[in-house]
Amino acid sequence: MEKELRKQANRLLEEGTVDCIIGHAQGSLKFTTTPLITGDKTEISNLIISPFMHNNLANYLIRRHGKTGIVAKGCDSRSIVSLIQDKQVSRDAVVIIGVPCSGLVDMAKLESLTGKVRDQIEAVTVAGDKVSVKLNGKKKEYPARQVLFDHCLGCEFPTPQEYDCLIGEPVAAINDTELSSKKIADIKKMAPQDRWAFWQKQFSRCIRCYACREVCPACFCERCFAEESQPHWISPVPQWQDNLVFQVIRTIHVAGRCSDCGECERVCPQHIPLRLLSREMYDLIDEMFHYKSGMDKNAPPLMTAYEMVEAEGLIR
Amino acid sequence: MNSKKINKKDLKKLLDTWRRDFNLIVPVLENEVITMDVWDGKDTAFIDWYRNTVVPPKANFLPPGEKMISFEKKKDGIVLEIPRNGQRQIIFGVRPCDARSIAIIDDVFTETYEDTYYLSRRNNTIVIGLSCNSPYDSCFCTSLNINPVESAHVDLLFTDIGDDLLIEEITERGKGLLNMPDTIKKATKADTEKGQALKDSLAAKVTKQVNVKDMEHRLQACFNDREFWEKAAAKCIGCGICTFLCPTCFCFDINDEMLKKQGARYRSWDSCSFKAYTRMPMENPREERWRRVRQKVCHKYQFLPANLGVTACTGCGRCIRLCPVNWDITQVLAGVPQKEAARSAK
Repeated sequence: MEKELRKQANRLLEEGTVDCIIGHAQGSLKFTTTPLITGDKTEISNLIISPFMHNNLANYLIRRHGKTGIVAKGCDSRSIVSLIQDKQVSRDAVVIIGVPCSGLVDMAKLESLTGKVRDQIEAVTVAGDKVSVKLNGKKKEYPARQVLFDHCLGCEFPTPQEYDCLIGEPVAAINDTELSSKKIADIKKMAPQDRWAFWQKQFSRCIRCYACREVCPACFCERCFAEESQPHWISPVPQWQDNLVFQVIRTIHVAGRCSDCGECERVCPQHIPLRLLSREMYDLIDEMFHYKSGMDKNAPPLMTAYEMVEAEGLIR
Repeated sequence: MNSKKINKKDLKKLLDTWRRDFNLIVPVLENEVITMDVWDGKDTAFIDWYRNTVVPPKANFLPPGEKMISFEKKKDGIVLEIPRNGQRQIIFGVRPCDARSIAIIDDVFTETYEDTYYLSRRNNTIVIGLSCNSPYDSCFCTSLNINPVESAHVDLLFTDIGDDLLIEEITERGKGLLNMPDTIKKATKADTEKGQALKDSLAAKVTKQVNVKDMEHRLQACFNDREFWEKAAAKCIGCGICTFLCPTCFCFDINDEMLKKQGARYRSWDSCSFKAYTRMPMENPREERWRRVRQKVCHKYQFLPANLGVTACTGCGRCIRLCPVNWDITQVLAGVPQKEAARSAK
């Protein structure tokens, strides 16, 4: 697969179809990858396909000039399409190298399963629906469902929806929405005051580093309300109320654009479970508007169009 | 140096004693995040699982957000109130890299002016170091001449030597905390030798290395090498993780918040990685991402060395292991050309 990926990337650069390739390379720490953004053919051999290729590379297309070849998993391709719908990216300016994705390994889950921290784990290999882990020289196997990210378990389209070339064969979705959304179901069961206390606790940890926003391809605004000072929509001082309002507004702003790639939650240094908001919004959008983000590059962005089917229960 | 020791089982007794007189801050694991928080008095299990915190100790002196002054317009004039901080506290478990970082920002907040907000907390804090027995793969403290068993900049240093914790008395303030003859014993020669041996064995566990020799001048020479900095910044997404969670980054923003006739002035962490940084006077002079990345690297390895004579990096590795895209400062530094090889301004 990697060989084919590198061949395609090399071809695109050689033919001059693109002047830059964006893909994943080995990271500098164990079980990490890092975005590779290069126009240099000698660097193409660093491109990899891995169960740790977390980054949604669509993020790098925003305000990029020139023609770009981009490696895209299912969720990434939907983000790219969404950017095309929003006229942030021109379809002609990207060559999408689709990579079917069988799900990414959530190191946080693996850490709690093994009781070890990332760099204390010796090896992780994914084979089919099993993930085998090497710990102190001993191998241990876990069902993939226990180890993959929640958003991967609930992924409906692991094979890219829009691509110019596809590396390997399409893969079947796990699509275990029950397991994927278990945490959401759990907080829905809470009494309102408990749920409020839960969010208060979560957002008390927010330090407003804005990693959730910066890593998100759907957050493409050049100016964000969070930094406006006349008026201050939210206080720049991190307090749980303002932190919560920031995230709620962000969730609304990316509604219909969010492809549930899960990056906002993964990158949060304070482990705030942001997907509880984003996936809930994703499902609400589906339920209310019968709309899934990034599926049709010719469709108008959700919030700019109106269809009669939306009226059910929405306008009273 | 005088060394003492305490059996790990007795640590709780010691902390219980300290808790009576001080606000005692220890490593706490909550929501899978290691943080420093008030000790609940339950146990001292952290001594076994603790590696390092996500938020560095600077947050104890320069919190992410704090009120500087509150004001209210009344009939007979404006009433101002400055909040009083500075509860007596002990921070237990500061790693040697972070201990160095406290010394670095102490300089910043005392050199050109005395920051009373910072100092009111700092002067009332006793810092108790804990040798680092489990460095992460992102740590590179030894490249900055810090040993995982380093007693600089703390009041006491605890080192895990097995069943016991070796205690090095560094300051008088620290020494004064050890007046518990039934639990704190004099360390034997064998104990101190164990501690000494750890200096080498733990340093060997720090596998990430970067050569920072002459970095100040190397950076100076390649300051205008736009191609280098554009490449270094290519994958950076411009979030605030590496700066907010850097133990030596200290930038803050000040805002007034008002409601009718009363309000308050707050300061909160700010970051040169942000596009909106310093927008309040006019615009951010570093419009492009690569200029902001260059600022971050040069501030630590060129400007502070030139201005305060200290490298503002301790090799704690937070900026690497917490980075969303694995932007690795050691790779960038390793790529900075030797002075002679630097390309001229473009």
